Amino acid sequence: MVDFLDKVKQLLLQDLSSFFQWLGKLKSVFAHLAAVGDYYSLLVRWLLPVLAVIIFLWCILPLLRDRKNQTTWGYLYLMNGIRVPIQSWECMLGRGKNSDIMINQPFISRNHAVLTYHNGVWSIADLGSKGGITVNGARVEEQHRLAYGDVISLAGIEMALLPADIVPAEEGQEEQVSDNSGVVNSTGTFTLLLIFIFQLLGALQIIITRSAAVFPMLPVTVFALMLAQGLHYHVLRWLQFENLELVLLSYFLCGLNVFIVASAAPHSLYKQLVAILLGMAVFTIFSLLIRKIGRAMKLKYFLLAGALVLLVLNLTLGEIHFGAKNWINLGFITFQPMELVKVAFVLAGTATLDRLLTTRNMAAFIGFTGACMLTLVLIRDFGSAVVFFGAFVVMAFMQSGDLRSLALVLAGALFGGFAVVAFVPYVTKRFAVWGKVWQYAGTTGYQQTRTMIAAASGGLLGVGGGSGYLVNVAAADTDLVFGVLCEEWGLLIALLAVLVIVFFAVYTVIIIKSSLSSFYAIAACGAATIFLLQTALNVLGSVDILPLTGVTIPFVSNGGTSMLTSWALLAFIYSVK
Amino acid sequence: MKLLAKRALVLLVLVALLTIGLVCFVVRYFNQASTWVQYPANKHLFNNQAKLTVSGTIYDRSGQVLLEMVDGVTKYHRDKTVRTAMLHATGDTDNNIAVGAQVAFREHIIGWNLLNGVYRLQNQPNRSANLTLTLDANLCAAAYKALNGRKGAVGVYNYQTGEILCMVSAPSFDPEQPPNISHYPEKYEGVYINRLLSAVYPPGSIFKIVTAAAALENLPEDKLYHCEGKMQIGSDTVTCTGIHGDIALEQALAHSCNAAFAQIALELGDAVLQKYANLAGFNSYLVVDGIKTAVGRVDVRNAAAVDLAWAGIGQYTNTANPLNFMAFMGAIANQGVLISPRLIADNYGFFASSQKKQVLSAETAVKLGALMRNNTLSVYGEYNFKGLELCAKSGTAEVGEGKRPHAWFTGFLAREDYPLAFVVLIENGGIGSQTAASVARRVLQTAVSTGK
Ligand SMILES: [Zn+2]
Repeated sequence: MVDFLDKVKQLLLQDLSSFFQWLGKLKSVFAHLAAVGDYYSLLVRWLLPVLAVIIFLWCILPLLRDRKNQTTWGYLYLMNGIRVPIQSWECMLGRGKNSDIMINQPFISRNHAVLTYHNGVWSIADLGSKGGITVNGARVEEQHRLAYGDVISLAGIEMALLPADIVPAEEGQEEQVSDNSGVVNSTGTFTLLLIFIFQLLGALQIIITRSAAVFPMLPVTVFALMLAQGLHYHVLRWLQFENLELVLLSYFLCGLNVFIVASAAPHSLYKQLVAILLGMAVFTIFSLLIRKIGRAMKLKYFLLAGALVLLVLNLTLGEIHFGAKNWINLGFITFQPMELVKVAFVLAGTATLDRLLTTRNMAAFIGFTGACMLTLVLIRDFGSAVVFFGAFVVMAFMQSGDLRSLALVLAGALFGGFAVVAFVPYVTKRFAVWGKVWQYAGTTGYQQTRTMIAAASGGLLGVGGGSGYLVNVAAADTDLVFGVLCEEWGLLIALLAVLVIVFFAVYTVIIIKSSLSSFYAIAACGAATIFLLQTALNVLGSVDILPLTGVTIPFVSNGGTSMLTSWALLAFIYSVK
Repeated sequence: MKLLAKRALVLLVLVALLTIGLVCFVVRYFNQASTWVQYPANKHLFNNQAKLTVSGTIYDRSGQVLLEMVDGVTKYHRDKTVRTAMLHATGDTDNNIAVGAQVAFREHIIGWNLLNGVYRLQNQPNRSANLTLTLDANLCAAAYKALNGRKGAVGVYNYQTGEILCMVSAPSFDPEQPPNISHYPEKYEGVYINRLLSAVYPPGSIFKIVTAAAALENLPEDKLYHCEGKMQIGSDTVTCTGIHGDIALEQALAHSCNAAFAQIALELGDAVLQKYANLAGFNSYLVVDGIKTAVGRVDVRNAAAVDLAWAGIGQYTNTANPLNFMAFMGAIANQGVLISPRLIADNYGFFASSQKKQVLSAETAVKLGALMRNNTLSVYGEYNFKGLELCAKSGTAEVGEGKRPHAWFTGFLAREDYPLAFVVLIENGGIGSQTAASVARRVLQTAVSTGK
């Protein structure tokens, strides 16, 4: 019996020792894995920037290509036999250079009339012309509904409105058009694939470096993100959305966002994933809703009402984070109301061409802007105040075209800005350190100097995802994301992320020519302005070209509300056409 | 939509502003990233005590390891004497020595570059971060031993290639066991200063070489000067070490006759003497792989006659930087062409290579060399420097205040196989031709016996 027990004990010991031996071997396997990981990063740090550049080019080139495939909504037959296609829902008629349909006759006013096609209804509005308008011989005072076949006379120049479907078959442009879009879509799928590869390779890099800290959140998030992107992309195609490269670029930015969150705040990966998914949904729904101008207008008033509620909520329930009282905690969810207000704010600045050329009334917009600015000043979120104000100036200019009042408003704002800098201690402090952060490297220049150190450490290719130190600095995942990108993924990718935002704005400028309504044009400009200003303040602030302000980079910074808002604003840029 | 398309151009203003900002940042990045990255808060490179945790290995010219980083800890040469002798070359771990490699060549040894940043494969320092110095560890150790605890500096460099073989500054300490400096203020006075690169001293009689160069080109060669042991200039007296009678330039230099050189300085005038002082490297610094040397000063413009006379002897307000003066010796040896000294051997194009500059005509340089050769033959004694083909000049610079004078000995070897120029300075070392010359003898004999 004792013998037997001894034997068992011996066997057990033997087994145990062999188990430990095996463990030891496993350890060396892990050591090998770590070595493999090192070589992986050696490869990936070259691969990722190349991929990023290809993705960027593959997205912007199709969008920059000159597209002539515009839908024709109706025709104006001039009495001299010329047929003019109407390719937007709002056309200005007149003698001036800015007229969409230029009629060079002495009695025609510079801006004579606006022909609109809203919600399937044609109408014409007089812009206070000298010669006046008649429809079928009857004088038009302000606005008049039109039917096909109506004869319109502008100061005696007659023309007839005819439907689009009488186009002679000989032109056959439509088929060519669909061929073109087919080509565009197939490169889109390829680009999506590249984005998947980019996200997979990057995530794997972080998983190798950080392992336990991001497991299992990061793998789950990345796979869910890829799935969602694939699904979203194909739903959009099924809904016959075009120019999806814009959406692909946003996927790319969302991927970078996941990288940053994984590195800086892995515990909030799931939250951020949900925000991205919601953002995609919001983008889709928004784009569908505002396709019709009538629905868009309803949405505008609905959102404005909601925004006013948010303003009040922010003032009463706001919580302070990093000096600004810009958070609301509803117990089950925390969010930044002023982010959401941006969407309503952009809509508030919109107007259809007939309205903005006839009434010229911006009182409501100015009032709403005032309310937003006041709230922002009260909650001490001066960075956002600059963003709102910039968007206001751009949208007001889009509406009025008045350079003189623009200059006046800017001068006033500069004055107000000086007052804020001089009398608000927390802003004064930020400005005091501006341009000499290295002298205050331990105190008020801490974040900026750490950002520059991180950026320099990364070089052009980065030290690898998860290997950075900037993520340990407070607010690195929101205010200093540019530095995090530089450090971990390299200056090239960081610059590319900024260039994507810049491209959104450039695209807006290009595409507005073929905008259907000035509603979309103004909304897109407002959204692009917000994107640009936030990016400029964030990036240039974090590297001491501008004073540091706590605003986010759209799509890239960590933050659920910011992500949702970015997608909603993108819908405005996307919907221009 | 033409109207709005036009107005939308206002967005391009914002695009331009952001782009300009980005370009500003990128330009700053390209210019300053190498500085930003060296900030001690950078955890990629420094620990919480702001000490470097990453460094390439620093080698001497024969491949001996002078400094390496093992698991974030700095290790120096295995031999204590070498560590101490080369302290000012490698720098100390606390980075008090500003011209030490750990500070001066930090950008190189941390292995940072614009493309890769601080990225390191398997956390190993990049091979490109390694640094080979032109110094010879054994020669430095010999020089440190020869100084034998006295404060001073020893430099030896190859006047054809510019490579500095020996750079020793004393006092020094073992960087692996740094002493408490504040407990011994006298012993470690100015210990963090590299006396060869960063200090200046009154030159004393070695400055007579500069005066002699001017005399060779501006006064008749067979001219005789007269020495009665002293010379009266107005109410002041310039004293000499002996009574030399009628004496030509060659003997005046060999015997370091103050009276003769005072006469030469007066005959040359302030402008000419100033010109030759500037040519010899006074009033300007040399750049040794990015390190600027201290500037020795000579200003005799509009000086009174007696001051000009003293300046010609090297005793007015003149100061000299040892390395700078050694480079002038190199120029005399090298047909008047000064090859600027350098410390870094493997050049990778990372540091600028040696600069060339003609400071004297070849003819004057050769004549001056012959005068200095004669010094050895007729005064210092060839038997002391057998086989070295030594051309030299000693100096004994009075420092006043009852202290012993600084001892100088400087010159070069006129040998094809060992084209070396050297300088030895011993603070309060006494007679240059005795104390400093004996240090030089030991260092130079080591140099020619252990290789170049
Ligand atoms: Zn004499």
